[in-house]
Amino acid sequence: MFGKKKMGLILSGVLSLSLLAGCGTGGNAATATGEAKDTKAGAATGTTEISLYTGGSLNVKELWETLIKDFEAKNDHVKVKLVYLPAGTGGASTLDRLIAAKKSGQTDTDIDLYEGSLDDITKGVGEKLWETVDNAKVPNLANVDETYLKQVNNQAIPYRASSVVLAYNSAKVATPPKTADELYTWIRQHPGKFAYNDPSTGGSGSSFVNTVIYNFLPPEAMNSDDPTNMKKWDQGFSLLKELGPSMYQKGVYPKKNQGTLDILASGEVDMVPAWSDMALEQLAKGLLPDTVKLTQIDPAFTGGPSYLMVPSLSSKKEATQEFLNYVLTPEAQTVVINKMYGYPGIKWNLMPSELQEKFNSVSSGYRSFNSGELQQEIYKRWQSEVAGG
Amino acid sequence: MSSSSKRGMLGLALVIPSFLILLVVVIIPILYAVKESLIDQQGTGYGLANYIRLFTEPAMRKNIIYTINVTLVSTALTLVISYALAVYLRFGKGFVVKWIGRLYFVPMFVPGVIATYAIITMYGNHGWAARLLLPLGIETIPRIIYDYKGLVLANLWFNIPFATMLLSSALASIPNAVVESARDAGASTLQLFGRFILPLSYKTMWVAVTFIFMGIMGSFTAPFLIGANSPQVLGVAMQQVFSSYQETHTASAMAVFMFLLCSFMGYFYIRTMVKDADAS
Repeated sequence: MFGKKKMGLILSGVLSLSLLAGCGTGGNAATATGEAKDTKAGAATGTTEISLYTGGSLNVKELWETLIKDFEAKNDHVKVKLVYLPAGTGGASTLDRLIAAKKSGQTDTDIDLYEGSLDDITKGVGEKLWETVDNAKVPNLANVDETYLKQVNNQAIPYRASSVVLAYNSAKVATPPKTADELYTWIRQHPGKFAYNDPSTGGSGSSFVNTVIYNFLPPEAMNSDDPTNMKKWDQGFSLLKELGPSMYQKGVYPKKNQGTLDILASGEVDMVPAWSDMALEQLAKGLLPDTVKLTQIDPAFTGGPSYLMVPSLSSKKEATQEFLNYVLTPEAQTVVINKMYGYPGIKWNLMPSELQEKFNSVSSGYRSFNSGELQQEIYKRWQSEVAGG
Repeated sequence: MSSSSKRGMLGLALVIPSFLILLVVVIIPILYAVKESLIDQQGTGYGLANYIRLFTEPAMRKNIIYTINVTLVSTALTLVISYALAVYLRFGKGFVVKWIGRLYFVPMFVPGVIATYAIITMYGNHGWAARLLLPLGIETIPRIIYDYKGLVLANLWFNIPFATMLLSSALASIPNAVVESARDAGASTLQLFGRFILPLSYKTMWVAVTFIFMGIMGSFTAPFLIGANSPQVLGVAMQQVFSSYQETHTASAMAVFMFLLCSFMGYFYIRTMVKDADAS
């Protein structure tokens, strides 16, 4: 016979089992119906909540907080929930989540808007992750330069931009290099005083690497994902290898964009490639000494927009498009410039004239670079030949 | 039903919940990773291509050897230092011992990223160490950051407090009477350590070694920020393969390989525990 105690134990065991099972399936079902209710209720009262996933540095978060506040003040039927994942912690995993959701055949995600880079767009294109945007849905898209939209096949909105420039310590460098060749000569003449970051960890380093490689190729190659271009990389890579021993600590490539700015600030190096917006902001906040100056070389480093993508799995596209439309107004773009030190996503001539003047010197241009999946091949080859060579 | 089979069923019923948790949280993900790792990169068929790549690609092979090297050296150094520290704390007396005993576990409360940046600002090229040595006429300090040395240093920082804590508790349970009577019988310090202290804390030492080994094997933050660009430890290389190259199947193969390395360690650990249980 079972004693009372034993019986109790068995019962509790069975109970905990059924609880566990409940968590496995019942839990999901509950949240799913909860979401469905939300949307229905939203339709009735006229309020829809969309969630915007963004990463990047703290300034990106501050930008969105301001933009969302302004938007919600003017607009009472769309609420925007900001999900901010600091650089390097979760940006990639948001994309991984979307890809996973798509691959596992889900029909809905809670990610309605995703801010990302060109890399993210290309990574998602193969999975048909992004919704195509057009003027009919977002009228203010007419404010955006069409060439930038065509570049990404209308799968993303370039809402702000910046470019990689040369940041140098003017106390040590009197006359900064003006051309790419002058820059390479400067690096050879000042061993240990130049650094670029590991290209797979940040855009300023990958811009340096891409520029070195593609300066040996015809200009149109920079925006082509034709794999035959890979055969023409040898000259660029051998230049990178040759420059290696003249780099910071004979070939140390710090991680992330901030990695090189840190050693520029501490005086360990005198020159680094850096994002214009990052450098301008850190100069304004005194994080970089004011002897640091910015300049662009010729041919220019690559630069480009930050993009907003609408995941095709989102169920609240209309509300999202309303918000996108607001982001592309000159008024919202003024916030972009003042908060982010970036270039506007819409045409310069639509912007207030005093801002046009203020940014005249930095906005002197950049080259765009989009080689699709070839970028990953560059990273791989750089890792084995330049870092490991 | 006989009472013994009833008892057996009860035992099973009690074990099932925890087994299910283990199944869902550990076993199924491992099996899934193994399956993923066998799919080749084009996603067309099953095969060992990812593993072959892992062991034939020169860069990857360097990474593996580097990881094992860093892990073994760091584990050995951590163990020696922690053991010495724990013995000192257990048998030493006085003011210094008391303060070390109060302070040694403080690094455990410092988050990894912050500790890593502290190491950078301390030992970097223009860091505190370099500035403090400057008045002495020493202008260049050896490269510590972005180097093997920095990585071992970070591993020591992260693991010594934990290992010392484990070993201290084991040493605390050795009765003073044992030590004193051995001394009375004329045992030297070395004999005392080899014959009494080591055997009595042997089991805990294995626990410590297993945890240190696995912790270092899977470490990411410090190697990412202060490690060299090449070779890299497997954790960093795996992140690169997964996120930058988007080669998820190769990343799975790396994960499975790291799991095997750790389970090898786990095997020795469990074998020691079982032997010990048999002996007693």
